[in-house]
Amino acid sequence: MNIIQELFGKSPFGPLVEHTKKVHECVEVIRPLMEALVNEDYDEIHRLQDRVSRLEYEADTIKHNVRDHLPRRYFMPVDRVDLERFISNQDTIADKAQDFAVILTLRKTKLHPAVMDKFFGFVDQIFQVTGTLLTAAVELNNLAEASFSGAEAKVVLSLLKGLGEEEWKADRMARSLSKDVYSLEKELDPITIIFYEKMILTLGAIANAAENAGDMLRIMILK
Amino acid sequence: MDIIIIATIALLGLYMAWNIGANDVANSMADAVGSRALSVKQAVIAAGICEFSGAVLVGSHVTDTVRKGIVDPAALASLPNLLQGEAAALFIIGMSAALLAAALWLNLATWTGMPVSTTHSIVGAVAGFGIVAAGIGAVNWGKMGQIVASWFISPVAGGITAFIIFKIISKLILGQEQPARAAVKVTPYIVFFLFMVVTLATIYKGLTHVIKGVEWLTDMNTFLIALGISALATFVSKVFVKRKLSGKESLPLAQQLESVEEVYVPFVIISSCAVAFAHGANDVANSVGPLAAVANILKTGTVGMKVPVPLWILMLGGGGIVLGLATFGYKVMDTVGTKITEITPSRGVAADIAATATVLVCTRLKLPISTTHVLVGAIMGIGLARGLTGIDSRIAKKIFKSWLITVPAAAIVCIVLFLLGRAFLLDFVRQLVLAARIA
Repeated sequence: MNIIQELFGKSPFGPLVEHTKKVHECVEVIRPLMEALVNEDYDEIHRLQDRVSRLEYEADTIKHNVRDHLPRRYFMPVDRVDLERFISNQDTIADKAQDFAVILTLRKTKLHPAVMDKFFGFVDQIFQVTGTLLTAAVELNNLAEASFSGAEAKVVLSLLKGLGEEEWKADRMARSLSKDVYSLEKELDPITIIFYEKMILTLGAIANAAENAGDMLRIMILK
Repeated sequence: MDIIIIATIALLGLYMAWNIGANDVANSMADAVGSRALSVKQAVIAAGICEFSGAVLVGSHVTDTVRKGIVDPAALASLPNLLQGEAAALFIIGMSAALLAAALWLNLATWTGMPVSTTHSIVGAVAGFGIVAAGIGAVNWGKMGQIVASWFISPVAGGITAFIIFKIISKLILGQEQPARAAVKVTPYIVFFLFMVVTLATIYKGLTHVIKGVEWLTDMNTFLIALGISALATFVSKVFVKRKLSGKESLPLAQQLESVEEVYVPFVIISSCAVAFAHGANDVANSVGPLAAVANILKTGTVGMKVPVPLWILMLGGGGIVLGLATFGYKVMDTVGTKITEITPSRGVAADIAATATVLVCTRLKLPISTTHVLVGAIMGIGLARGLTGIDSRIAKKIFKSWLITVPAAAIVCIVLFLLGRAFLLDFVRQLVLAARIA
């Protein structure tokens, strides 16, 4: 009816925060998956895989919802390209978390006690990285309210600074973990080693995507 | 039998006023409804009161015969080979055609949801009549140039002002580490500015016409009165904001921002009411100006440049606006309220202050600008300051196009109506005019 109200696009930031939260829920399944692997509870792994795949689907639905709010003609306080890259990196996090669950369902693998502690340490570090991203990204609504400037922007930017460091740490842990895995080549069959390597690469990809998402968030603020 | 003419034109004026109420008023309250400061019902009532009082109290009691002097009536009277009373009859038909054309155009705009300017509709219609009745030369093209310029000036001026005001609010309050504390410090200054603009606009918009012959109401004294009122409002707001926000400095940032927005609710109501008031004062003449002009012709028999507007005509105009608001504007306001959810009270105040200030300055400079255009520009300005989460640029372009098309469209409709009226009604109206003069 009245065109002035049509002038206002619906805010993408509310659904975007929802997306971030949902993606993080996907990541939260990784630790229970690892525990099930240690306990060799393969039924539990299948249950968890179902859960993460449902969560990933829900995250996808929210992502489409966000993209619906971003037609080309919208004039936004942040760059659309940065925003889309941010979403697609978050999307990658959810995808990789699902991949991780799928890998565990492919084969009944056992976790070697020699790498167990390091593996869990690495998983916790991944969780640290995505957690930092979550803390920064849920501020998007407040950032919009403060027009992406001032104290609120500073808080988020300093959070994101920490993110790079956390990812770097995760990288180093991945390398050291890989070394440990290969040092077991006499004891383990090659397929298991390939399997471990797959797990490590997938987890590393999660940390990587989280860092990239954080970079996009920073660019969005600094626009 | 002048009653027939008066009644006909009064009806047309009422139709025009109805359209103003239906199309325009929802826009003036958009910021208040959109930011949820007022419910739709409250906004309709507030807008009704503000528009009516603006129209009746401050609506200009003296109006140019032809809005904004776009056509020189003398050019009509000096046409060669006119029968007795023909100039007056042509003028009456022309004014009726202009009113009907502008109202029809507005009705179409309301129907399709375009926020066009009522002022520009009537100006375009009258210009159309002037061209056909008295030739191209009868139209004041300098004035027309100003109107064309205003298509660019009003949104740009409104946009820049809103951009600056929002940047200030954002920098000094929302961007601070403790927005609640910053708001206590800064808000009184913003309130001072808001009240300065509102009181100055109210007085300049024509309060001087109401209290006629009051010599002391000079620019200097007006300024002093505004200063006094603003100082008082500043003091009250200081107490209010302090009471509302004290102790909230230690809350999390998100909650502080929320409480700051809550504090701005009464201000966005006041500023929106000011926009509605100014709108009523400014735009009522669009509907009743031609009516007043015709009433004067019938009374004096001559076509003058300026005519008085009797109170009953202003009441009719104000009533028509309220009627339009109550019957149709209600619906528009409802959609505005449910759809514009992205504007918060702080943004609403910034847009309203910018709109009122820009209209005030341009009125002082005698530029014919439209409140609607300025408001749309102000909203865009806040978007540029990264204050809004998304603006549909396609709609913005559509709005701009509807502005460009208003003047020619109203002119063409008016030309058609005038030619029809002249072909079929000229003799009839001339007889009525002559009869009125003898009586």
